[in-house]
Amino acid sequence: MNQDLRKRIAEIIFKSKEGHIPSSYSIVDIINYLYTDILAYKSDQPQWDDRDYFILSKGHGCAALWVVLEKVGLLCSSQLENYSQFGGVLGGHPDRTKVPFVEASTGSLGHGMPMAVGTALALKIKQQENRVFCLVGDGECHEGTIWESAHIAANRELDNLTVIVDWNQSAAQLCPIDDLPAKWKSFGWRVIVFDGHDLNSIKNAFSQGACSKPTVLIAKNIKGKGVSFTQGHGAWHHKIPNESELQEIFKALT
Amino acid sequence: MNNLRQAFADKMIEVGEADPNLVVMVGDISHGILKPFAAKFPSRYFNIGICEPSIVGIAAGIAATGLIPVAHTIAPFLIERSFEQIKLDFAYQQLGGNFITVGGAFDYAQLGCSHHCYSDVSLMCQLDNSIVTSPASDHEFSVLFSQVYNRGTINYFKLTENPHDFTFSNPIEIGKAVQIKEGTDISIIAVGPQLKQALVASKQLESSGYTVDLIYIHTIKPFDTQSVVASIAKTKKVIVCEELSAHSGVFDLVLRCWASQDKAQFKQLAIHKMIHDYGNYEELCQVAGLAPEHIISAANKLLSTVEN
Repeated sequence: MNQDLRKRIAEIIFKSKEGHIPSSYSIVDIINYLYTDILAYKSDQPQWDDRDYFILSKGHGCAALWVVLEKVGLLCSSQLENYSQFGGVLGGHPDRTKVPFVEASTGSLGHGMPMAVGTALALKIKQQENRVFCLVGDGECHEGTIWESAHIAANRELDNLTVIVDWNQSAAQLCPIDDLPAKWKSFGWRVIVFDGHDLNSIKNAFSQGACSKPTVLIAKNIKGKGVSFTQGHGAWHHKIPNESELQEIFKALT
Repeated sequence: MNNLRQAFADKMIEVGEADPNLVVMVGDISHGILKPFAAKFPSRYFNIGICEPSIVGIAAGIAATGLIPVAHTIAPFLIERSFEQIKLDFAYQQLGGNFITVGGAFDYAQLGCSHHCYSDVSLMCQLDNSIVTSPASDHEFSVLFSQVYNRGTINYFKLTENPHDFTFSNPIEIGKAVQIKEGTDISIIAVGPQLKQALVASKQLESSGYTVDLIYIHTIKPFDTQSVVASIAKTKKVIVCEELSAHSGVFDLVLRCWASQDKAQFKQLAIHKMIHDYGNYEELCQVAGLAPEHIISAANKLLSTVEN
């Protein structure tokens, strides 16, 4: 579990008064692993033709993306200092027209994944070996476009596409029949369920061998993971910490 | 004989041969006439299925890699149903692509309101970086597509099932209106397929001794303000004929481009409410108030009005 990244998330959200702490804490360990161990990219060439694509379809968790991009040197600290501020390039949802290495502007749920499917399809047309990774929320899986595009990806045998589902039970609040692995399997995907906060489990999930089907990695995550009072599905979804709460968060993460 | 859907299929082969970046996606329509394209370019043709919003999202993903998508299906489903995808996945992200529809207005006259679409043009005009056309002949579509398909803009081609069959003597150019007739008594501004009705009405008005300045609009955005203003300046009496919603159509553009100029009289013939009737195209033109006699009636009212 990445405590320093979580502290940085709390810090930028506290400063800007904007952001989704629990959603970001749910996915930050996976995004960190993607950028440190999985994705091919060149830090001086955002549009490098052979790069792997990562699309954060659940865009409201983007504070996690910003702190990881800062850690690996694709964003600088001054950009994070201006997060969600006038004149800054980093907002409460990712904008590909402003931020290098952001492959898709997201925010309205159910948009990033069809774009990921289109990108994977285009790479097949162009006969390129790059891979496409897309992170969606389990609540986002209420959107019809997730399943429309999942259906298409399976039919087109997009083996260059990996979707990661942040299975943190957001969906189950509204739809208690929470059978995401069965659903994705029935749509023709290779399904791997793992612990999205445990490094060995993450490593194992991302090191599966080749498969003719698209792969979905379903992460059994905890919304707000790392700080007891941000965990779960309560008031903290879009809450901004005050000074004392920020100190409590830092204390919990130390 | 014009057949715009066939013209679309033929054009895709022509452009697809010259440009390896062209990718054609359909929502389970026109797959029969696209078989030659599919056979020739199997890796660049996809009958995606019946999931229009996802077709648009997938097209945006394709565009993001530098390829040029063409998305094609019925207007209400590709534009109205999927408008958030067009707005966010293309306009917001500054990606270019081509949207080609059939079944706009009440072209599917026997299928009822679910298959009608009156607001596609105005919706597409809302977008940054969009080009919006309503070609009503094979020739227009072919020329307009070639001119813009790879510009990186969001290009909309609303293909009618009811072409006007008029043969142009002047070149077709994106964003340029066509002067069909020159006159000084009244301006008729006809959009897309309405040129057919406007030609019939103009002939009858001419037989009554009037001269008609007939302007044809195939490109709604960018709008040819200059030609329209020049026509209104001559006649000061204007009828706009459009198979579009009366609430946000070409009439608005005409008024806007004339605003602050001299006094003139304007009449809009457009679709004012959902059409629940069945029948053929001509019958629904009657219901909508878009038949030649409606144009003549509107013209006679304007022509009989004495300026103060």
